[in-house]
Amino acid sequence: MTKDGMDQFREIDQLLDARPLPPLPADRLKQIEAAVITGLKPVRGLASPGLYFAALAGIFVAVCMAGCYVVGWNGWLALNELQKFAVFLPLTATAGLLAFSLVRQMSPASRHARSSAFVASAVFILLLLIVTMIFHPVQESEFVRNGVPCFRIGMAFAVPAAVLSALPLLRGAGLSPLLTGAAAGGLAGLAGLTVLEIQCPNLNVYHIVTWHVSVTVVCVFLGFIFSGVTFRRSASNP
Amino acid sequence: MDLTGEQQVEEPGRNPATSVTALEQLMVRYQQADESAARSLIEQVSPQLYRFFAAQLGNPDDAGDMLQEAWLRIHRVRHTYRPGEPLLPWVYAIARCVRVDSYRKRRRIAVREIGVEALPEPAIASAAPNEFPPFEQLIAPLPASQREVLTMLKVNGLSLEEVARATSSSVGAVKQKAHRGYERLRAMLQTARDTEALHKASHTGAAVHQGAALRKGAASRKGAAT
Repeated sequence: MTKDGMDQFREIDQLLDARPLPPLPADRLKQIEAAVITGLKPVRGLASPGLYFAALAGIFVAVCMAGCYVVGWNGWLALNELQKFAVFLPLTATAGLLAFSLVRQMSPASRHARSSAFVASAVFILLLLIVTMIFHPVQESEFVRNGVPCFRIGMAFAVPAAVLSALPLLRGAGLSPLLTGAAAGGLAGLAGLTVLEIQCPNLNVYHIVTWHVSVTVVCVFLGFIFSGVTFRRSASNP
Repeated sequence: MDLTGEQQVEEPGRNPATSVTALEQLMVRYQQADESAARSLIEQVSPQLYRFFAAQLGNPDDAGDMLQEAWLRIHRVRHTYRPGEPLLPWVYAIARCVRVDSYRKRRRIAVREIGVEALPEPAIASAAPNEFPPFEQLIAPLPASQREVLTMLKVNGLSLEEVARATSSSVGAVKQKAHRGYERLRAMLQTARDTEALHKASHTGAAVHQGAALRKGAASRKGAAT
């Protein structure tokens, strides 16, 4: 920047500093005090972020274990070591990042609340790329017939995961309800996807992308829409 | 905040008597239903918050309404403040959320009731020569994100780190927005100066022209008389 430009920046700095703004009316302050102080009750603060993270991680693991118990782990047995590593590592990383983001979103002005959600989406896209690389396409005669039960199973485990995850999240401030809804939906969808990867022995890439991964995508959209509708309703009826 | 790279000693807009830790202690006591702490916190934070809204809205009444709404929201989610964390970013994160919600609500109402095709661009009101308009009019032509960042930095005296936390972005992003805002203001300042110089030059030119005409008229009258 030129010296002239720097001088002008300094001048703008001084100009902005010197601008007067209207003072706060005293009656308004009294109104606020009356509204806030009337019936003031003590509140219990949020628990530590680590505890909420552990709760969300616990819900995720519990749903996956319930899935193994109910629908079996034939998919896990069908995968080789490299495939297990390539699928479950990014899956766990995405779920962890989403849980971290959700915990951060509970308290306003927390660091990395949004960025971790964006990193989670990037890792999920990476997972998709890995899936297309390590699994091969196979022509299935009963593509839809084989796929719909998988989708149903995924959703059947994603829904309880979403409900259970919402319980601790309701304690949060919810300043970005759309992001929170999408992230919570994503975490629940990932639980459904993990159950499917453990349960389903079909290694056709078309089947995995269409019927397994779609569980997560659908859950993200459902979470987004659900929180959007709820937020709009609460905003119009304060 | 100084974008030219120099450190500023004094932070404008922040009351030096109000230490940040004192505010945080008041907040903790407010969570425990201490009325005097709640009152004291409202009295100390409200003027800053009011300026935050007034600087961006330009309407004192709307700013007052929004301040009240912000406090009701703060009251509702006061349990989400974690002791030990800086308080002002927490307060401003809620305040900007209230502002955005209010803007959306108003826009919905405006679309339903008036049905305007396009909202007029905010413009700087005409000020007297050599006098710049108030802060809210000065920053009115800037995009909302730059306006918000400049208000937090210059009016509320928050640090770059605090603004970054309040707006859920990085310090780099805040710096970039502030820099762009400054660039735009600089361009506006230059344009205003050029216009003023042109105005002065045209005034001087007209005066010279008028003087010459008067002299010519006087000479011709003199010639006719002789």
